[in-house]
Amino acid sequence: MANLIFYVMAALVVVGALGVVVARNPMMSILSLLASFFALASIYLLAGFQTLAALQILVYAGAILVLFLFVIMLLNLADEKPLERIDMALFHERKTIWTLVVAGALLGIGAFTALELAPPAVAAGVQIPEHGIDDLQGLANAMFSRYLLSFEIISVLLLATAVAVVVLAKRNRGTPRLDQGGEST
Amino acid sequence: MSVPPGHLFALAALLFAIGLAGFFLRRNVIVVLMCIELMLNAANLTFLAASRMHTLENGGRPDLQGPIFAIFVIVVAAVEAAVGLALVIALYRNKQTVSLDDVADLKD
Repeated sequence: MANLIFYVMAALVVVGALGVVVARNPMMSILSLLASFFALASIYLLAGFQTLAALQILVYAGAILVLFLFVIMLLNLADEKPLERIDMALFHERKTIWTLVVAGALLGIGAFTALELAPPAVAAGVQIPEHGIDDLQGLANAMFSRYLLSFEIISVLLLATAVAVVVLAKRNRGTPRLDQGGEST
Repeated sequence: MSVPPGHLFALAALLFAIGLAGFFLRRNVIVVLMCIELMLNAANLTFLAASRMHTLENGGRPDLQGPIFAIFVIVVAAVEAAVGLALVIALYRNKQTVSLDDVADLKD
């Protein structure tokens, strides 16, 4: 039964990912990505990673995708012009064919390695721990002992990001505000 | 769930290939960023599948390396989305476009 759910969810993940690539409207891409991430979270859950499934939904679906949604809506409101012009001529270019060839080759190598070299089946009798692989206590013990340095470094990364986003998103110095009228130009 | 580990890895490979194709084919910056998120998720799935495989090989003793790396990847994905979208907004403010075809200045 769990296996069946896994394959259904895997199909959903793939369909959602394909939807991101082929959707004409960026809004449809976002919704498709959302469906894909939810299905992926259920796969994490099935594989025994409760905490990661929760993080996937909270951080990815809850924070990152909402950020994308904000930007799309912001740009749509600012201008009625469509966000992207899709030309079907793209699919006659040589670049498209090369991209598909490289992606297909990568997929072939990955799938071959996965299916041929990974152990074919789960050893009989071995079970995932009852509380999942990544129970919070074990995760926190590892995170704050062995991986403490990485944890600290990633906090510095977050700080640098906050500064960088503020610098990027604020108005250029010297450009007049719109509401100050034209006399400052 | 008794799915063989190889199927999880294969799913991750498929997800990565789709993300890669989208990254090169699409012209909208926002969709390109979404495709990067797809590829990062494929990496996450690989980490977790490996962790599950090692847990089962070790007779059920949890292998925490995979989940911890996956958490770090999620943080990096959030950082990348924030900076990328700030760049998109700055680009739109300066050029009124989000199409990569219109910002090929460095190429010429």
